[in-house]
Amino acid sequence: MRQFKKSKDQEKKIKINKSLSKNIDEMKETFSYGLNKDFCMRTLEVKFSEYNACLFYYGSIVDGERINTHIIKPLLEQTGDKLSNIVTIENLEEVTDLEKAIQNVNSGKAILFIDNDEIAYAMDVAKFEYRAVSKAENESVIKGPQDAFTESLNANISLIRKQLHNHQLVNEAVQVGERSVNEVNILYIKDMVKDDLLSNLRERLENISIDSIRNIEVLEQHLEERPYSLIPTILYTERPDKATAFLEDGYIILLMNTSSACLIVPVTFWSFYHSPEDRYLRFLYGNFSRAIRLLCFYLTTMISATYVAIANFHSEMIPPDLLLAITASRERIPFPLVFEVLIMEIAFELIREAGVRIPNPLGPTIGIVGALILGQAAVEANIISPIIVIVAALSGLSSFGIPDLSMNFTVRILRFIFILAAASFGMLGLIGALILFFMYVVSIRSYGVPFFSPVAPNFKSSKDTVFRKVLKKEYFRPGFLDLKDSTKRNK
Amino acid sequence: MQNRGYLRVREIVAMILIIVGIKLSDSTPALLTQNVQNALWLVPMISCVCIFPSFLLMLYLLKKYKDKNLVQLLEEILGTVIGKIIGFIIFLFAFLSIALDSRNYVEQIKILYYPEGPSGLIFLVLFGVVFFGAKKGFEVIGFSSFIALPFIKVSAFFIVFLVLGNLLVQRIFPIFGSGLSDILIEGAAKASIFAELFFILIAYVSTRETDIFYKGSILAAIISLFEIVIFYFIYITVFDYNSVEKIAFPFHDITQFVSFGKFFSNIETIFMVFWLIAAFLKFMILIYLATWIFGAVFNIEDFEPLLLPFTFLIATLGTLPFNSIINELQFRNYLLNAMTPFLILLPVLLWLVALLRGGLRK
Amino acid sequence: MIRKLLLWLLFLLLLGGCQDRIELEQQSYVITIGIDATDQKGIYALTYQFANPEVGYSASSSADEPPSEIVTVNGSDLLSATYFANSIVSKQITLDHTRVIVVSEEVARSDNFLRIIQSASRTPEIRRKVEIIVSKEKASDFITNNKPLMETRPHKYYQSMLSRAIQTGIIPKATIHQFFQITEGDADLFLGIYATTDQSDNKDDEMEEDQYIAGEIPQKGGPPTQFMGAAVFKEGKMIDILDGEETRIAQILNTTLDMDSFITTIPDPLMPEYNITYHYSQTEEPAIDIQYNKDKPTIIDVKVKFKAEIVAIPSLIDYTQKADDRRTLENAIVKRVKKKTEDLIEKSQKVYRSDPFYWSLFIRKHFKDIPSYEEADWQNNIYPNANINVEYEIDKLEFGKMINDTNLNEVRD
Repeated sequence: MRQFKKSKDQEKKIKINKSLSKNIDEMKETFSYGLNKDFCMRTLEVKFSEYNACLFYYGSIVDGERINTHIIKPLLEQTGDKLSNIVTIENLEEVTDLEKAIQNVNSGKAILFIDNDEIAYAMDVAKFEYRAVSKAENESVIKGPQDAFTESLNANISLIRKQLHNHQLVNEAVQVGERSVNEVNILYIKDMVKDDLLSNLRERLENISIDSIRNIEVLEQHLEERPYSLIPTILYTERPDKATAFLEDGYIILLMNTSSACLIVPVTFWSFYHSPEDRYLRFLYGNFSRAIRLLCFYLTTMISATYVAIANFHSEMIPPDLLLAITASRERIPFPLVFEVLIMEIAFELIREAGVRIPNPLGPTIGIVGALILGQAAVEANIISPIIVIVAALSGLSSFGIPDLSMNFTVRILRFIFILAAASFGMLGLIGALILFFMYVVSIRSYGVPFFSPVAPNFKSSKDTVFRKVLKKEYFRPGFLDLKDSTKRNK
Repeated sequence: MQNRGYLRVREIVAMILIIVGIKLSDSTPALLTQNVQNALWLVPMISCVCIFPSFLLMLYLLKKYKDKNLVQLLEEILGTVIGKIIGFIIFLFAFLSIALDSRNYVEQIKILYYPEGPSGLIFLVLFGVVFFGAKKGFEVIGFSSFIALPFIKVSAFFIVFLVLGNLLVQRIFPIFGSGLSDILIEGAAKASIFAELFFILIAYVSTRETDIFYKGSILAAIISLFEIVIFYFIYITVFDYNSVEKIAFPFHDITQFVSFGKFFSNIETIFMVFWLIAAFLKFMILIYLATWIFGAVFNIEDFEPLLLPFTFLIATLGTLPFNSIINELQFRNYLLNAMTPFLILLPVLLWLVALLRGGLRK
Repeated sequence: MIRKLLLWLLFLLLLGGCQDRIELEQQSYVITIGIDATDQKGIYALTYQFANPEVGYSASSSADEPPSEIVTVNGSDLLSATYFANSIVSKQITLDHTRVIVVSEEVARSDNFLRIIQSASRTPEIRRKVEIIVSKEKASDFITNNKPLMETRPHKYYQSMLSRAIQTGIIPKATIHQFFQITEGDADLFLGIYATTDQSDNKDDEMEEDQYIAGEIPQKGGPPTQFMGAAVFKEGKMIDILDGEETRIAQILNTTLDMDSFITTIPDPLMPEYNITYHYSQTEEPAIDIQYNKDKPTIIDVKVKFKAEIVAIPSLIDYTQKADDRRTLENAIVKRVKKKTEDLIEKSQKVYRSDPFYWSLFIRKHFKDIPSYEEADWQNNIYPNANINVEYEIDKLEFGKMINDTNLNEVRD
């Protein structure tokens, strides 16, 4: 593991003292020993050198059993010439300055000070509590691996390494945060990923100056270039298989110990559009589901707006039977059509937001309230016309077809912009808004990669864009990443 | 300039296909048919024959003098002052065609879809969008054109498909319309309907692949010619020669006429969507090119801030209170007639000067 | 600052855009427009039939409302009268969904018809697909009396009524588009749809099938509206009416009108007191070959190939088995249809002095440019003096799914 330390010139590094008692006092003070209930200290006499030694750790984040059998017991009983030959812990690190020692305690290690020794020993006995690896809930697939990341770095890396047996897969740690120093792990395939991209990412990580970055979700917002933009420029996923697929293509993965998900940079539009299942399904099935998803994109952003535009400005387009039916149903509605659409769309957003927040036992009420009150009763009370229910339901339902949460929000917000544009100028306004939005999307970049590559601008790639090719015919890795090795397989 | 070197020739091709190809949908056919009647579809071919050698000569010169755009080439061959003057004339031509076109397109939108709204407002929306789009830079316009192009062309193909049942091929006879000499003269005089091909040469060095630029632009020119001919053919076979000269916007008349099965009888709004996309892109491209030419003439490296005043100026010129028929049948007619000899002769002149000065021996 | 300004601008745009926005229920949808003459010159009585959206809508309580509302106002053209009609109708009148324009025969026969119908092409609201119907009575009466029982919603009624009647060939397809192309082309005759709700008194039960025009067809029960025959327009003015059979023949010979097939009868060649019913269907477009002679009469050769499928032989003669009889039958069919065609052509040459077949299309290729074509003058010079030879040929004669008819004698036994 390579460590990147922040330069903190203002704090001079306090060396570890030769005298144990001074070290102990220093540590006790730093960690408010006595007040801080789970901070533990254990003094003992080491058998091999017959010096006194002291062990510090947080009782709450270490494995007591391991300390017992692998550290204390050998220290008390075994003889030998070096500490490393006595302690049976797998990860033993020598620390020379106090600050480092403190950090190590914070991250769940036991620190051993030995009298007459200027080196402290950090032993990894961390045992942070975390959820067991469970099923991916937010990005579920039918066909494909079901496991999801969990809130443990080691477990997560294990999930990735399990799929990617490659010695070039590097897990590099960068520390972020000033008060609470957390570690961000960068995973990439070393002989593939472009150095510029990597150093760009490192630089951005090091330039984050903030007290603490608790988890990857917060990190995402510190890493992105356009915080006000409607478009996400970092991909967030809880699926190890998705992350691994991106790794294999030369993307970079960011992990933290505290999040059950990872970040992927750089991204293109297609990263948000694809679902890992597209590749697990056979060629035709996968592309069929892509086609449906494309329809979802259209329906969820445009259907309400299109309806407003056509009904308010271009009614000639509606076939007469339908036109008369809509007209008849609107005869008694007290609102303009735009208003109706907005009411229903907002109602749908309400159900959705409430559905996420509602405690599980109350879940079914959402269904009753949503379906009954908003759907049927509103129609019967002549507040909205039945066709609006269909339109809003279509656009709401389709929004669930979008595999990524961020993109989901994008299209949901976009929908309202489009509805307003359509309500003001019909198709002219709608198309104007669409084309401007589209040009904006084309113009943005994620870590230097144009958002619509490899389509525009054109790059060599496996042509996995709207539809994918047969797996056997994918020859190249994405060219916009400028990889060191961009050939997947030779023709 | 927001150019990062990602532009390829295929984006240039897409842009040419949009700005030249859209001529099939505005009132250019109405303008041409006044003099040639049902030989309308032959006119673009004659125009193309007239102007294509000059265009090829221009491409040849650009290839000879490497890494120069249109204005730089003019300055290199004719000297700074004359080169700049000619560059400025080209700018004026581009600028005036956009201004006249802008009125024309606003009329199309207004008459057919927004009869009640004031045209000033439509100008505002159209050019608001165009301005913000153009502001995104040439590359983004190129990429957007490339992505939008298939949709636009598919919708055009769809119109052709739907209208097929209403064609009466015999209507192209008598083959020479109002007379062979008439169509030859009209075809030659209106050769400048392909003037956009020259305007886009300002972007000659914006792609890294200048060596295939000429291939791409020739291909694009031929495809657009083909499209224009097909649509003009459709206009005269759907409407007879007596009717087509009365119709100001034959494209929209066709879209109103076709129906998709019995239940979807009025489907023009679908085609209007794609036509609008093309129209937005057309103006973005042309305004950007005109500003670029202006910037090149006056040595303004960072010319994008000029987009706002130019867009405003074009919209103002477009709203001048002439009616659309005068606008189309007189001003545009004059402009096209005036541009033709200039565009045909300019490359020849350049070539001769270059030949005398020995610039071609490099 | 600029951001704020832009936001205000956006807001203004949102407000300003409202002018063309109109709610669906604030519009009345015209399905039919009727044109009648008034005493004043240049002023017409225009009848608009609006669809009533409430009818047929399941959730509405107003089941007793009529399916449409009919309003007649005076105006000088189709569009301006809609504003006038707003003094009666509460909503904005929209012509986008107009299906047919009904013109009274009186107006159609007047010189002014072209003037009033011209306004239809100028507005984008009236589509070129709208069909022209000429009614024997006043258009307003036609629209008012036309109360179909099955298809009560007017747009549905016209859609199915016209498309079926056009398929069978008893009325031609007559869109505004065709009207303008032919009238402006100034060479041929335009055929409009002829219809009436006015049942004529001189109903002649003795007439052969299809030789009726609308209003003469003997009928019991059903709605009073009859669609039959075609109104002949020359230079934008109605000059005559073709009966159903003539209309069919005109459509057979006209390559621009497509008619699927029809069923008709001829007297049995062997037992003339019975009729034979056959199904006529056209396998390919008629071949029209024009030999243009500048100084001599032009020769027009027309070849029509068709398929005849015998549907009924009430005489029970065994045509299927006997080759001679079959040939006789074939000849009889051809001869009859040829006779009818020649009659129609003669009528058009002598009386109309122009053709309802749009054959001017085929002479065009003999000219190099339009001035010489216009000078040659199809309508006044070429066609009326042309020698026209029509030949019919039965491509296939079929006898349906039965090989033989019931032998009457055996049954009677």
